[in-house]
Amino acid sequence: MTTDFTPESERLIMSDSYVIIGDGIAGASAAETLRQEAPDADITVITDEGESLYNRILIKEYAKGKLPEAPISIHDESWYDDHDVDLRLDTVVVDVDVESDEIRTHEGETIGYDKLLLGIGGTPQQLPVENADAKGIHHFWTFQDARKIKESVEDADRGAIVGAGLLGIDFAAICGAQDVEAKYLMRGDSWWRYALSNEGAEIMHEAMRERGVEPVFDSGVDRFEVDDDGHVEAAVDPNGERYECDFAGVAIGLDLNTELVEGTPIEVDDGIVVDEYMRTNVDNVFAAGDITRFYDVLLGEQAQNGAWGSAKEQGTIAARNMIDYESERFEWVSSYSITHFDFPFLSFGHPTLGDDSVEATTAEGEWRRVALKDGKVVGGVLIGDLSPQSAFKKLMREGRDVRGQTDLLMEPGFSVDDLAAPTEQ
Amino acid sequence: MPIREQGRRMRLRRTGTILPEARIRHYDELGDDAQATVAELAGRPRTAAEASDLEDGDVVKFTDYYVVRAR
Ligand SMILES: Cc1cc2nc3c(=O)[nH]c(=O)nc-3n(C[C@H](O)[C@H](O)[C@H](O)COP(=O)(O)OP(=O)(O)OC[C@H]3O[C@@H](n4cnc5c(N)ncnc54)[C@H](O)[C@@H]3O)c2cc1C
Repeated sequence: MTTDFTPESERLIMSDSYVIIGDGIAGASAAETLRQEAPDADITVITDEGESLYNRILIKEYAKGKLPEAPISIHDESWYDDHDVDLRLDTVVVDVDVESDEIRTHEGETIGYDKLLLGIGGTPQQLPVENADAKGIHHFWTFQDARKIKESVEDADRGAIVGAGLLGIDFAAICGAQDVEAKYLMRGDSWWRYALSNEGAEIMHEAMRERGVEPVFDSGVDRFEVDDDGHVEAAVDPNGERYECDFAGVAIGLDLNTELVEGTPIEVDDGIVVDEYMRTNVDNVFAAGDITRFYDVLLGEQAQNGAWGSAKEQGTIAARNMIDYESERFEWVSSYSITHFDFPFLSFGHPTLGDDSVEATTAEGEWRRVALKDGKVVGGVLIGDLSPQSAFKKLMREGRDVRGQTDLLMEPGFSVDDLAAPTEQ
Repeated sequence: MPIREQGRRMRLRRTGTILPEARIRHYDELGDDAQATVAELAGRPRTAAEASDLEDGDVVKFTDYYVVRAR
């Protein structure tokens, strides 16, 4: 036991120091909440990016040529001064020492903390193929990436896109908006096959085709070919088909930035493991946003989200629990929309999980699928008609057992009241 | 923070021009109620009760860009 000889009067005015790594929406919303709820705290936010918080989910609109830069910024640098937050741009944290409660930056500076928040997100994976780093081949995570994509796609005539998921389709939309004829090379026989059946995916394929982006199935990229300047000139798929392109977008997945805590006692399991209060197994270290594998109280098991709203909420919840542990749980149904086409698309919860599912075409161009686990809704996808989203999210929050009534979920005007009243357990 | 007028109705008008000073909200930034309202009003000549996290003049990125008009 250590004895604290600090006089009581001094201890009362000593403020806690909070260090936040990452100025994405998770880190930034934590900083905002900390400032509101702990007015005297010392807060430091460190980011390896050269700019402070911006709207990562609008940078695709910038790359499409639909938005100017200015409205994409969320916190300009004066926000940090106004809120007495010490912002360190262009600073990479290279080491976390949980024994001495310190982090170290790439410049060798050591910063101590009372509480640490890891809001460090992920990094797009590179394709492990020949010439994957050639000029004209892009990954998409930062505003800087978006600027390069915009510049490159504006000069391009033909594109190739790899990665049949939520980020790949952004590349498809960018090509479509910038009049670049593109081939979308997919490994399976449909887009996002883990969450959609062929019937639902076909609505998305048709929308891509209308924008000059042709889905190519049972394909992928075996290698890229480059010209004498090292610029991409073709993507060759595993079947030997060659697709000429002067722009390529690769979105095959994210590597979570857990490397930073390797070699520390912080538990990692494809993400930093946290409880429902966003705390890691080290008492004064918390994590929020894409980086977490959190305890999902609705699902009853560890889960991951990769969405803006969830990362923002986790940042807020983490901050509250850093101030007062167990004060608020993260209880949230995540959702992620695609708004590139003239109909909306929404995925909610965990659409790729579950042991059962129901799906239906409810009208022309309208399709839905609901994933179920042990008779309860765990996620789903809505195309065209988003009106049942509130009802499905409510069922998830309430953990309602819908066994024997799943047909009702497919009715066009479905409402929670259509279900039989829940029986007492 | 200005106090909001109670009982206002909002509608969405498609817009092609985005001014640099506009406040732009992506659909996924909105709370559940505002999302439901936007999905209901977009592209339709209807009004609904003003959603709590949207303000007159905001631009929402949904299937198009829509400017919020609240009266
Ligand atoms: C192009 C694109 C489109 C998207 N579209 C949508 C959408 O439509 N809807 C939706 O809900 N979600 C969307 N997402 C996902 C959403 O943006 C993320 O889920 C969310 O931004 C995650 O926030 P975060 O704060 O957890 O992580 P991030 O935003 O990734 O922030 C982490 C930050 O930490 C920094 N960092 C990492 N390691 C270190 C270190 N060692 N030292 C210093 N700094 C470090 C990183 O550089 C980064 O700035 C999209 C993502 C992208 C890339």
